[in-house]
Order: sequence, then C-alpha cells, then structure tokens
Amino acid sequence: MTAASRQMKLGAFLWATGHHIAAWRHPKAHVMAGVDIDHYIQLARTAEAAKFDMVFCEDAAGLREANVGIASQTSRSIGFEPISLLSALAVQTSRIGLVSTASTSYNEPYGLARTFLSLDHLSGGRAGWNLVTSASPIEAANFGSTGLKPHADRYERAREFAEVVTGLWHGGASGHDGQSFSVRDPLDLPRSPQGAPVMVQAGASDVGRDLAARTADVVFTAAQTFEEAKAFYDDLKGRMAAYGREPDDIKIMPGVAPVVAETEAEAREKHEELQELIPDDVGVALLSSYLSISDLWRYPIDGPLPELPESEGMKSRQALVVEQSRRDGLSIRQLARHFAGARGHWRIVGTAAQVADELQARFEGGAADGFNVMPSWFPGELDAFATLVVPELQRRGLFRRDYEGRTLRDHLGLKRPA
Amino acid sequence: MDNGATMHLAVSLFPGAADGSPGSEPEFDRLAQLVQKAEAAELDMVVIADSAPAPAGDAVSRQAPFEATTLLAALATVTSRIGLVAGASTIGHQPYNLARRFASLDIISHGRAGWNATMAQAPREAANFSRSEGFSPDDFRRRTDEYIGIVQGLWQGWDADALLFDKSGGRFHDPEKMHLLDHKGEFFSVQGPLNVARSPQDTPLLVLSGLSEPDMDIAARTADVILLDDGPIDGAKARHDNLKRRVAVNGRAPDAVKVLTTIAPITDGRPTISADRLAGQFQSKGCDGFNIRMPMQPAALDDFIDLVLPELQRRGLFRESYRGTTLRSHLGLAGGGDQ
Repeated sequence: MTAASRQMKLGAFLWATGHHIAAWRHPKAHVMAGVDIDHYIQLARTAEAAKFDMVFCEDAAGLREANVGIASQTSRSIGFEPISLLSALAVQTSRIGLVSTASTSYNEPYGLARTFLSLDHLSGGRAGWNLVTSASPIEAANFGSTGLKPHADRYERAREFAEVVTGLWHGGASGHDGQSFSVRDPLDLPRSPQGAPVMVQAGASDVGRDLAARTADVVFTAAQTFEEAKAFYDDLKGRMAAYGREPDDIKIMPGVAPVVAETEAEAREKHEELQELIPDDVGVALLSSYLSISDLWRYPIDGPLPELPESEGMKSRQALVVEQSRRDGLSIRQLARHFAGARGHWRIVGTAAQVADELQARFEGGAADGFNVMPSWFPGELDAFATLVVPELQRRGLFRRDYEGRTLRDHLGLKRPA
Repeated sequence: MDNGATMHLAVSLFPGAADGSPGSEPEFDRLAQLVQKAEAAELDMVVIADSAPAPAGDAVSRQAPFEATTLLAALATVTSRIGLVAGASTIGHQPYNLARRFASLDIISHGRAGWNATMAQAPREAANFSRSEGFSPDDFRRRTDEYIGIVQGLWQGWDADALLFDKSGGRFHDPEKMHLLDHKGEFFSVQGPLNVARSPQDTPLLVLSGLSEPDMDIAARTADVILLDDGPIDGAKARHDNLKRRVAVNGRAPDAVKVLTTIAPITDGRPTISADRLAGQFQSKGCDGFNIRMPMQPAALDDFIDLVLPELQRRGLFRESYRGTTLRSHLGLAGGGDQ
C-alpha cells in the first residue's frame, strides 16, 4: 500500500456497559449489557456497518475488584466470557474481525489454539487472539494457591505459549516438549481460512515489546501524548528487523476514548455528566488496582500520589499514571477521576472534526497505524463515533468506505502466513 | 415437572461427520440445518461431541472444523428452543475457565446450555495438555469429582436476584448475594466467584457419560442427565433402578436425574432405528429416554424424524411440542423460572 493511500485501522473495543467506570449509570446506557446477547449482536452490526476492522474484547478470569463493596458499585463483575461471545457474533455478522483476549497464564496452548481456530472457521477467517499474561492476584486465586507469578516468568511462559500456538496454527508438526508445555499431536482442525488467526498483543513492557516484535500482527497499547505514542511506535517497529520482519507486518493501534458530539460544548457536557457519576471510592479503587497497590485510600484524597514500590503487575501502566500525575500536578481524586474515564488511555473530547484532526495527526505523524476505539458508554457513544467520526475520516480519505476482502487479515493488510 | 409418560430424546452430533459433498454450503450452515431440523421435531437436545484429538481409528476422526463450545455459541443464535450440550474436557480446561464458558453459553442460549463431562479418560488427550503421563484411573475419578463440584459451585455463586441494576442509587449488584466458593481441594484451589451472571436455568445442565461402575455414585450425586451405553434390554431395568436408588440415597428425588440410553442406528446399508425398540425399552422402565448417536449420513436424522418420531407420537410416547423454553423445562428438571 502506498503512503498516499495508507488508511487507518479501527477496532471497536466492546466492554460491558462502556469503558467509563460509571458508564452503567448513564441514563441511556444499556445496563443489562452483561446478560444480553442481542445487545452485543447489535453493537457488532453497528461496527460492521461502519466498516470497522474488528471488534475487540478484553478478558479477565476473575473479578476486577477484590473489595465487594466497591465491585458492587460497578458493572464489571459480570459479563460474557469473550470466546463464547465472539462465537455467537461470528454467525451474526459477515465481515468484521473478531478479536478476543485470552491469557497465557491460566490456559494451555493446545486447547486455546484449537478454540481460536474453531472461531476462525465459524467466522470464515475473521478471528484474532489478543495474547496477555495475567497480572491480577484475584485471577491467580482462581487457579491454585501459589499466588501471582513474577512478571519475567509470566512472559517466559507467554513466549513459549505463543510459539506452540502459532506452530499448531501453521500446521506444524507436533511434539513440543518445552519448559512449561508439552504437546504431542497436531490440531485436529483444518487450516485457518486466513492462514492463521491474527495475533494481537497488548503488553508494553520491555519483554512485552520483544515478544510483540517477534510474534504479533497487531499491537494494542495505551499512550496519552503524541510523544509517548511516537516513541512506542518507533521502538517497537525498530525491534522487528531483529526477527526478520518488515515494519508493516505489525499494525500498532493505541486505545482512544473519544467523547464526540455536534459541538465541542455538547461533548464537554456529555463528558462531565459521566465524570459526575463516579463515586470517589470507586475511582480510587480502580486507580489502585492499576497501580498494583492496595492502600491508596489511606492517603489524603486531595493530596499527591505517594511514592510507589516497583510493580510486579502492570509495569507500563503504572509508569504512565505516575508520569501523568507528576506532569499535571494532579491530586489523588483528580487522577482517579481522570483515570476512571478511560483507564489511562488517550481521551479526546470534541466535535467529529476535532476528533478526526487528533487521530489524523497521530496517524500521519507516524505514531499509530490505527486505533482501538473505546466508547465511554454503549450503545450511544459507539453510535456517535460511527455516525459522526467515521464519515469524517472517510471524507478525508483516511478510512475505508467498504470492505475490500473477507478476512481480518485482508482488512488489516496483513500477509497471509505461508 | 413431567409425569414420565413421555420419553426424552437427544441426538449426538459429530461435527466432523456432518458431511457431505465438497464445495456445497459452508460446514456451519449444514450443521445449523441439522440442529434446526431437530428443533422443529421438538427433540430435547443435541449433544455436540468433542475430543482433542479424536480417538484414533474412530469413524468420526475426520478433521472437524469446530470445537464444541464455540459451535454451541454459534448454534444458540440460530435456534430458539432446543437444548445444546457440548462436550468439554476436564484435562483441557481449568475448572474456573470451563465454568465461565458454560455459564456464558447458558446466557447466550437463554437457558439451553449443558456441559457433557466424561468420566472416561481420553487415551491421547493428556499428552497434548502437558500431562504426558496422564492420570491413574483412581486419580482421574477423584479429580473429575472435585472438578465437577467446583464447576457446579461456581455456577451458584450469584443468587438469582443478585443483580439490582440500580443506576440512581449506584448499586449494580447486592454484595450480600455474591458468594465466594473458596474451594481448597486435592487437585484444585479456586476462590471464585464466577464473573458471569447466574444461569437463566439456575445452573447449566450437567450431562455425565463414560461411566464405569465406581463412577455411578458421583453421577447420582451431581448429574442432571446420565448417558449410559446400550446393553442387553433385560439388564436395563435393573441398571436404571440401581441408578435411581443411588440418586435417592444422595438426597435427591429420583426424577431429578434423567437416564438416557445411548443407541446407534443399525447401519445395515441405510441407518435405521425402530420405534418398537425404543418403545419397548422405555415402557419396561429401562431408561427415561434415548441419546441417538447419529452416523455420518445426515439422512439418518431425516429418517428418524420423518419415520420414527411420528410413530412414537402416535403411541403417546413423545411430546408434540415444547412446553417451556429452557433445556431444564424440556427435561422436566427443576431450576430457573421456566417450569
């Protein structure tokens, strides 16, 4: 694809009632999203009609929040298990890609490879796997009593896991006998309609980046500023040559949480309306979980963030939050509120033209190949992006007007594996 | 509750065997048509078999394009009444993950999902799941028993009225109505609760198969449906009575567990099943119904539905129409709001 015709990739990140922690309290949010399959079918069809590359689902094998009093004030303790959700969506859509997160920490590669390949067959070649390692002690407690494994160990297991899965997908021979896994047989399913399901990764730590440079087709990341996004982009693409890969073999798609309306004032008002619905204890608890500390509530809520010990959890996200708190001089309350809106992802509040300007600047400035769009609440904010921003991007020639191919690899412009 | 006058009927499908001619409709569409046909005939459920890899030398070991739980989710969206039961391995999945998958499938299908767990260790499976040595039969039995207890416990982690959806009060759920499992056992340690809401039928169905004699008590204590291999008809009643007695010993109503005999059509050239054979075994109280293992030819289902079912209905031995919408309601089992 030439530079002139290069177009951005867009994912629709579906999650519960919305990405904003208070989304479920929005008067028009579909509060029963976590038990209503028809709601998800409708969201996927909206995204497909808008020609999104894919819908994207996150996952965790456990509650998000250990404190049940806090958890009960959010909508995130229940929802669909994403692989079964996407399997249902596969036959209720026809073109859009279907990407689910699944952890390498509490699965086995043979089973996971087989399940994603089955999703790929159900969808006619539209499946993708977002590889993550699990950083939550709540999840760990559902899989034995030995506690969370150190970051480096999780990534070593992930590396071997990815190697086994891709080997199985590529029809490779069986007989893996490694450090964490042994597998005897090849998969008993035919080859993927798109060669192999798409591999997505989200880790941004140093080892996470190396693993992505080596194996990922798509990278999902969080970046607040253009500089952060550009530095990540250049660093990751720079690592690929060492593994014999071309920079264009990976599409980097940072998360973006847009709040869009006909006028800027209206967009700001919409945003404030949601911010006002965040209970302070919920905001602080969410911030604590991403900072991997448990006692943030002990500190004065209008004071600064305390010094933090180094994390075994989400290293890169902790650094991002700390950096932002120092840069903008935010109190714990302010930081919690800010963070609760999009969990540290980039937020744009404005008109369609303003949102498109910002996306275009990062896309054309070499800081992103596309974006994973994180609507603050469903269905309203996905509808707003589809009806306001997508046409604006299309007018500017930055986004497709129709699908050209059938598979997720076709949409993303990725090579079909040999 | 049903009165036991009519039999329950399941058909077992082997996705890899659904076929047909290359280049015709996509594989999923053909399978969906089969299941829709079974639904139109008011059958209780389809059982989607699964094993990874398929047993060597089995007639159904052709490459199947689908894994059973993903297929179930897809089928759930193109059917509305028939029960959908998928096989899933206790070696291939951690209990928390598997409990979550089936709870989710039950919500997707609006209360029509079931898990077919086998007590029999698949010969080559463990070798693909980093357990090249497998388990001894006794370890496998104790492990499966513990596993089932965890899955069923997780399925009951949320009370039926736990979700409040109270936007203005900021109360999404009632914290008192969510329960930790806190299981610490010989093979697993699982805290819970599940991060999927309660099943529309309280818990998805547990279907147990592959039982040997020592497994019968586990099945009597935990299963909603027991699939037994076919045997001599004169032994069937004693076997059925024995199982129901064990169910009662475990403090459950005998009718809380349905025993289905798995039969395969006689494949003398064209696959056939006779209504007389089913009626005979059912009326002599040898079982609560049948699980018919469909052979390769989809025409076998046509024959069964077009020829055998009307005869069973004429004799008053099979329902004319579904009475409820959940799988439990088809089977006359307690659970959920749809009795």
